[in-house]
Amino acid sequence: MYTNEQLADMIKPDKVHRAVYVDPGIFDLEMERIYGRLWVYVGHESQIPQTGDYLTSRIGRQDVILVRAADGKPHVLYNRCPHKGAQIVPPGGGHVDRHFRCPYHAWTFRLHGPMLSAPLRAGYEGTAFDPADEAFWLRRVARVASYRGFVFASLSAGGDDLVDFLGGAKAAIDNLCDRSPVGEVEVAGGVFRVWQNSNWKIFYENLHDTMHAAVTHESSVVAARDEYEASMAGQDMPFVLHIMAGNGEPYQFWEKLAVHAFDHGHGYMEGIFDPGGTDRDPTSRAHHESLAAAVGEARAREILGMNLHNTIIYGSGSPHTVFQQFRVIRPVAVDRTMVEIVTFRLKGAPEAVFERAVTYANTINSPSSNVMPDDVELYTRVQKGNRLDGGDWVSMHRYCGTDRDIPGGKVAVNGTSELPIRNQFVAWKALMTEGGAGCGGTA
Amino acid sequence: MRGDGMNGIGAAQVDEAIRLKHRVEQFLFLEARLLDANAWEEWLRLFTPAGMYWVPRMRGQLDARTQVSLFHEDALLRSVRARRLANHRNWSQQPPTHATRTIGNVSVTDPGPGTIVVRSSFQMLEWRADNPRAFGGSYTHTLREDPAAAGSFRIEMKRVDLVNCDAIHENLQVFL
Repeated sequence: MYTNEQLADMIKPDKVHRAVYVDPGIFDLEMERIYGRLWVYVGHESQIPQTGDYLTSRIGRQDVILVRAADGKPHVLYNRCPHKGAQIVPPGGGHVDRHFRCPYHAWTFRLHGPMLSAPLRAGYEGTAFDPADEAFWLRRVARVASYRGFVFASLSAGGDDLVDFLGGAKAAIDNLCDRSPVGEVEVAGGVFRVWQNSNWKIFYENLHDTMHAAVTHESSVVAARDEYEASMAGQDMPFVLHIMAGNGEPYQFWEKLAVHAFDHGHGYMEGIFDPGGTDRDPTSRAHHESLAAAVGEARAREILGMNLHNTIIYGSGSPHTVFQQFRVIRPVAVDRTMVEIVTFRLKGAPEAVFERAVTYANTINSPSSNVMPDDVELYTRVQKGNRLDGGDWVSMHRYCGTDRDIPGGKVAVNGTSELPIRNQFVAWKALMTEGGAGCGGTA
Repeated sequence: MRGDGMNGIGAAQVDEAIRLKHRVEQFLFLEARLLDANAWEEWLRLFTPAGMYWVPRMRGQLDARTQVSLFHEDALLRSVRARRLANHRNWSQQPPTHATRTIGNVSVTDPGPGTIVVRSSFQMLEWRADNPRAFGGSYTHTLREDPAAAGSFRIEMKRVDLVNCDAIHENLQVFL
């Protein structure tokens, strides 16, 4: 058990103590103090289009049900029957007619949680059983909010509202939706789910770590380049090779990228792949034309000109606006993390744009990706190395002390800065220590 | 009439079917041996130039363009994977993956003419970095007679339907 002072001492401006990655006790505290407080992405409204449609999801250690109730709105309930505690629905998605019915003893509940009935009610006469008492309802999580179809929930009643929490990262969700001629996206094409045998924070830190790209990914960069030289030298490099070879850009390329860090640990970085080559690529050109027809040429240029690579929504995961996906990051144990890769269709955009997003997901994010295995291998090695007594601190010194303030966050002076990592630990430290003593009694 | 057994199929046709099944099995076993030996370059040469390697993400998946796939690789992407597996800075292959594949229940579901469709079951035991994994499912091969090697085949499509296609997977690095 750690005091708040001990936890605070683990986070220095330019380094963090290795215990934050490997100590199961700290992971337990994170589940309470971070995942018990933050807004966490649970799913997209397009996954539950009709009343009675539901989808299971997870917030920290809590299995929850995202459901569209009779009021037409998304609700989030704990997946637990108040009678014996049975999970009310199996994992995955489905549809129920008008109410949830527990498969153990047939207690039934309205879609937003209140109890409807239990069989043989006479047996409860004279007891404290009361269907109007919330103790006999499916418990609702404290707060639910939807932003442009993206549903977030918080296990804590207090704190910023969702839009304030998202802060600067909201622009990435806006841009993803605005890329549709009708301003809406929908989940489509199926999801990938992959394991990383490493702490959840390691993946977040890697998302804007531009110094790793050419080193970690050398094998896929060289394979893509060699294949290009061997089979099609002189022609335009095809998309599938471009997105692998791109990691091999020289250091000067990464140094020039704009990296923004926002309050609450969020941030985004400038795109690596230029989708603005609308004159060359027929898919981008058709997309641009469909968007310009809907919102005008100037606005279309503005929307498609916002070229972001990974965005970080701390505690939820990483949307990718240009290739229409959300990598949802779910901590499972101190050394185990599940990542769900969800792909979106831009409603009203040419189908080729969606097919490109599927190709991107297959090539980069599938468990069979040629790119990710080297990342995942290195995350595992970080996890294993930090169990050792070979040194207590993990460095984040790169460009420390040079970050520039902007409204709601900071901007890096160099694209290879470790600002995003430092920014995540500012949020981590605040969540883990502010009021922590009253939050679970573990201090 | 009396010699005309097997639901009207003559002995000569039965003989032909057995010979075809034998040739197909020999080809599938050769393919499995190459994969088990991590002989990726030789394995690539089993495909026709337009041949595809496909491992669907969904059960019964019909479309690879608008639904994600665990693998969906043409000659270009198969070659990239083989090159990466051979690269000396392939950190996730240090140590490398080793696997053994067992094939059974081989049946020719469409004898042609033109292309032959073969369905088989497989089990695969994989080993890497103290981590054993088991895979299983069905292979569906669409084969063509090999113009360069009499009696053998080239692969037009290899489809691998994993029983656990919807699992939460760790890295899938080698061809199944």
